[in-house]
Amino acid sequence: MPNFITHEDWLAVLPLLIVGGGALVVLLVDLVWPKNAPRYVALAIGIAVLLAAGAFAATTYGRSYNAFNGGFILGGFAVVFQEIIVVSAILSLALFATFGRADRMAGITALMLWSTSGAMLMAGAANLMTIFLGLELLSLALYCLCGLADRPASQESALKYLILSSTASGFLLFGMALLFGATGSVTLASLASPALISNPLYWLGGGFFLVGIAFKLSLMPFHVWSPDVYEGAPLPVTAFMSVVTKAGTLAVFARFAYVVPNGHTLLLPFFVIAGISMIGGNLAMLAQTDLKRLLAYSGVAQAGYMVAALAGASALGVRYAIYYLAAYMFMNLGAFAVVALLSTDREEGAQIAAFRGLAQRRPGLAAAMSFFLLALAGFPPTAGFLGKILILSANVNAGYAWLAVLLIAGTAISLYAYFKVIRLMYDRHELPGPTVGTTAPLAYAGVALCVVFVLAMTFYPLTPSNVLPLAK
Amino acid sequence: MALVLILLPILAGCALFALPRGDRLWSRVIGCAVAALTFELPLLVGNDGAFAVRWLSRPFTASLHFAWSGVSLWLVLLLALCTFCAIVATNVAQTRTLIALLLLLEGTMMGVFTARDILAFALFWDLMLIPPFFALVEWGTHRETAWRFLIYNFSGGLTLLLATAAFGILSGSTDVIGSTHQFAGSWAPWIFAGFAFAFAVKTPLWPLHTWMPATYADSPPPMVAVISAVQSKAGLYGFIVIALPCLRTAMADWRWLIIALALVSLLYGAFIALTQTDTKRIVAYSSLSHLGLIVLAIASFNPVALQGAVVYIVAHGLFSAALFLILGYMEEREETRSISKLGGIGANNPKLAGAFTIAALAALGLPGLAGFAGEIVILTGVFKAGYLWPALIALVPIVIASAYMLRLLQDAINGPVIATLPQRRDLTFAEALAVAPLLAALLFIGIYPHAILTAVLR
Repeated sequence: MPNFITHEDWLAVLPLLIVGGGALVVLLVDLVWPKNAPRYVALAIGIAVLLAAGAFAATTYGRSYNAFNGGFILGGFAVVFQEIIVVSAILSLALFATFGRADRMAGITALMLWSTSGAMLMAGAANLMTIFLGLELLSLALYCLCGLADRPASQESALKYLILSSTASGFLLFGMALLFGATGSVTLASLASPALISNPLYWLGGGFFLVGIAFKLSLMPFHVWSPDVYEGAPLPVTAFMSVVTKAGTLAVFARFAYVVPNGHTLLLPFFVIAGISMIGGNLAMLAQTDLKRLLAYSGVAQAGYMVAALAGASALGVRYAIYYLAAYMFMNLGAFAVVALLSTDREEGAQIAAFRGLAQRRPGLAAAMSFFLLALAGFPPTAGFLGKILILSANVNAGYAWLAVLLIAGTAISLYAYFKVIRLMYDRHELPGPTVGTTAPLAYAGVALCVVFVLAMTFYPLTPSNVLPLAK
Repeated sequence: MALVLILLPILAGCALFALPRGDRLWSRVIGCAVAALTFELPLLVGNDGAFAVRWLSRPFTASLHFAWSGVSLWLVLLLALCTFCAIVATNVAQTRTLIALLLLLEGTMMGVFTARDILAFALFWDLMLIPPFFALVEWGTHRETAWRFLIYNFSGGLTLLLATAAFGILSGSTDVIGSTHQFAGSWAPWIFAGFAFAFAVKTPLWPLHTWMPATYADSPPPMVAVISAVQSKAGLYGFIVIALPCLRTAMADWRWLIIALALVSLLYGAFIALTQTDTKRIVAYSSLSHLGLIVLAIASFNPVALQGAVVYIVAHGLFSAALFLILGYMEEREETRSISKLGGIGANNPKLAGAFTIAALAALGLPGLAGFAGEIVILTGVFKAGYLWPALIALVPIVIASAYMLRLLQDAINGPVIATLPQRRDLTFAEALAVAPLLAALLFIGIYPHAILTAVLR
């Protein structure tokens, strides 16, 4: 058993290193620039770094390599998750083009990059240590990012996130400790032993581990932090958090779910929670007046859909979870981009009332927003529609038809919430809302990109093959 | 070629939004041209215009497969004709937006009627619900109508989606419309139930009809003409091309429930139509009754009844489009829909009165017009299939239809001229142009129903 680290190992994590190192470059450039570096310098470096990391990660597609003695696995779905994380980071960074505090841009970009590298580590993490390392790297940067805006709500959001997320990490860590006690090893692969079924430590540890995961995925009833945190955090950070946290955690959960023995029993409560999220998240959406809260509850339900795709641990299920995650990324970030374009620093655009009569004032943005909301509701011709079909068929195929029925019921409930916003935009009888808004070409480009991808993914459903969550 | 039928109206509809908001002329010209083209295209192209590309290969195979033939060709023609007639004399606030929505509606419904794959069918099924929703938001007078329409119909769309996924997984492919593929098994009754719920909401069948009268009364007349004439047929079309061939045994198991609901719709619709005072609601409830008859025909599993059903589908499409359009013109002139306030319109508007009379007579089943041809073939078929009592019960609403249609004619068109009503001019050229093709087609099919009967046989 080789105990030393080879350069192959470093190559496997090179995308992460590029992103993490890029953050330092951003800070250095800001330091040596006379006065403050303009906003676009930091953004450009950040996006360039992410593009480079994404391009490099893409070259490893299909290659399989077990780095750091099973700490990080290249191959399987790691690459796909990394790409999704990188793209969402780019789209979220683009939203910072509308952010008021240009003087903080370098720090923001650096924190975003570090957070991204944490999520990318989670995508490939295959032992308990790297999982925790990735998670903490992701979260620590996010705590700072949440408190960035000059509003009391923002600081409150950061504090809430810090406390609740740390609690969740505590659960996760405790579960990991128990699992380590049960197997005597930190690798996920060591969990794949049928002998564990008779070990109470395995059940207890697995339970705690899953509670931690449910917190991070904001599944009901562990979701209470997400609406408050989403509401307070600066808008681009909310957008980033809503996709990237889910992506990283979903990767960890998939790896865990596909390896554990007797998964049907251990994971059943987790899928029940996913079912509760679909119904509860959509129900809670009905009462919201703040779009960020609405999208937070929508995220609760959507996380439920993604987890549901993994029920039964089928080879197809994970592909559809990834497909839906990618679709969710584009439609969700697209919606956030529209909100960002309607806001100044006080984030007026996040109030649903700001969408009153939008079709009269900004017909293009209203159409784009309707399109994203239709996609989130699962209307055709969007990737949300096809993603739901794929998840439904995965559930029927894996013998989890009850999840499919819950998904349908949840979607039916969500209709009113999404269409309420669409209606506000198009109803002539509504008093027009205040006209605020910024013009940031980068954010407009983000909206356009999201529209194109949500549409294109419907008719060219790329569900990459060989994306099984390998554990060794 | 079938793809052109779908994309041309959709793209034209989107392009119309580039016109200035207040435009009236150009949107009508473009809309009519597009609708006329989509009418001509299937007639000029000799074949069935098939277009197919693979869409999904896992977890089941699905294709973007579109073609027209048999029943679907008639619905395509009906849709194009009704869209043309609805657009040609559109005269509402925001004409441009309404015509754009009508074109989007046409394109999406073309998708429903030409889809040869259930997944593509489901895609366009959900899509066709959006234009009427926006029409209700823009022109509706009651807030809740749009919600009711959307929530009822999209719930149907969702069960359709679930049933499609289950069907695809269990039978391996959804590219089955128009093939002889039959699906049976322990899941079949539930899959059928999912499809049937969606179709029954859309048709609508009692007790899922409650969204319908309000939607028909609240939508602008051109939109409601297309919805009642063609969109309501999507449910019946689904029964004919998906449920009947692919899930035959499952449908046979549920047969009595469907027949019972169809009979209740028939009677309920007719009796409620008798009591209504709003002209549009009378025709809306009469639709419930007429469509119940078609569902009865489909559920009787008799080929003759099925032929009659298709004739009646086209006939109902023609006369309900004509009725709703003319009621719209009437409302525009008299500024009321209440039957108790109307009266004597015929004295000053002979053309309007004549057109309305022909359409109403077709609706009550006068021999020589298309309605009668459909009814008689359906009743013969249902009777031949051994359903004596259902056939006899179905006769009752046909008698009642005479009562409510003649009441509408008597109270609104005939009788003394009411002095308080504004006196406006007769049908304009555009309005006459909108109604004439519908009436001509009613007469043609009434005299020569064979044209459709043979199409179904093929």
